[in-house]
Amino acid sequence: MAEADVLRKQVPSYLAEAHMIKQGAEARVYRGRFLGRSVIIKERFPKLYRHPSVDEKLTRRRTAQEVRSILRCRRAGINAPVVYFVDYNNHCIFLEDIVHSVSVRDYIVPVQATVQGTGHLQTLADKIGEILAQMHDEDVIHGDLTTSNMLLFTKAEHKNINLVLIDFGLSYISALTEDKGVDLYVLEKAFLSTHPNTETLFERLLKSYTASSKKASAVIKKLDEVRLRGRKRSMVG
Amino acid sequence: MHRAHDLELFPEYTVTQLLFKDLKNAAELRKMAVNSEIKGALINPTMVVDAFQILVAANKAVHLHKNGKMKTRSMYSEIIFNLSPTNNISEAFKRFGISDSDNAVYIVLVHNKEETLNVDDIISKVDGQQIDVDQVSEFTDAAKVKKLYKVAPLEERCGSLLDAVVCRMATKDVA
Repeated sequence: MAEADVLRKQVPSYLAEAHMIKQGAEARVYRGRFLGRSVIIKERFPKLYRHPSVDEKLTRRRTAQEVRSILRCRRAGINAPVVYFVDYNNHCIFLEDIVHSVSVRDYIVPVQATVQGTGHLQTLADKIGEILAQMHDEDVIHGDLTTSNMLLFTKAEHKNINLVLIDFGLSYISALTEDKGVDLYVLEKAFLSTHPNTETLFERLLKSYTASSKKASAVIKKLDEVRLRGRKRSMVG
Repeated sequence: MHRAHDLELFPEYTVTQLLFKDLKNAAELRKMAVNSEIKGALINPTMVVDAFQILVAANKAVHLHKNGKMKTRSMYSEIIFNLSPTNNISEAFKRFGISDSDNAVYIVLVHNKEETLNVDDIISKVDGQQIDVDQVSEFTDAAKVKKLYKVAPLEERCGSLLDAVVCRMATKDVA
């Protein structure tokens, strides 16, 4: 037992050499090298405010769910980073580093400022709607849809824009329209608050979603319902 | 010709990979592996897409070995088991290990920095011609790989066959 505790308390040596790029409440994200490639390492560090056995179970479950969702998306043709290795001891996920990419958030901000940009943004909105429809049709709920969790990259040969979804940390499998509606609601809130004056763009995204998904109308209906709830929303009448 | 790679996560370990074609003594080699006369994993090259796939399997084997969590009895059988998309050990051996009639073999060795590895010793035991591990694509049976790993054309939109294979290997324990 003591040995297992020692093993757990050591910070993995590979993280010491890696380069931390982000720290969140749930995990730390690093960039490092693995088997000759550049990788992203997501470490779900121990939460000392939780009871240790609860923490262990919860962390392991979240790691497993994240990895499962990624595989499920990829099997359905939805772009998500390849999982190379999972260290269940330290709860670290080693993922493909998508080089030469820019987050949708960082892409929209400057493009929105230009006049010609609007055309490109329409295509982008179409693409996002399409990819989310495919994901929901696979019953994968992302859980944290924001423009920072979508990356744009160009494959040298193709020249089309390609979208990759990242950060499946809060994702789970669900067929419920309620969950899908909430997923879209989360995106809507994040989208509109990060990118002002993009209501029409988001409308276009939802149109593309509706066109690409078989069960879309039910989900959009739920989305309307969800919008009526929440802060400063009257549930009277 | 042979490829040696120090595992970034376990710097004291090195993984060496060798590939041989025109193999004449597959049956003998297999026996030597079983007797531990050859301290390495003998893999069927038709199931190998790229050297990276082997490194992923070896890395996982070393990790599990260090934590005492291997599912099989030796590091070498663990490498072969890690290649397989299923949790059935004997099936993994059947599909990824070499059989007596094979005419090519992919050998993987894992050794500690302290142990000196005598690669020539291994090479001398193989009756075949050594070629660069990058040439494994000449032997890869992509159709067989896709069937065994259940890779649909849909998935190939997001990446290569190697990506699909490695992702499954990495997520096998929970998916």
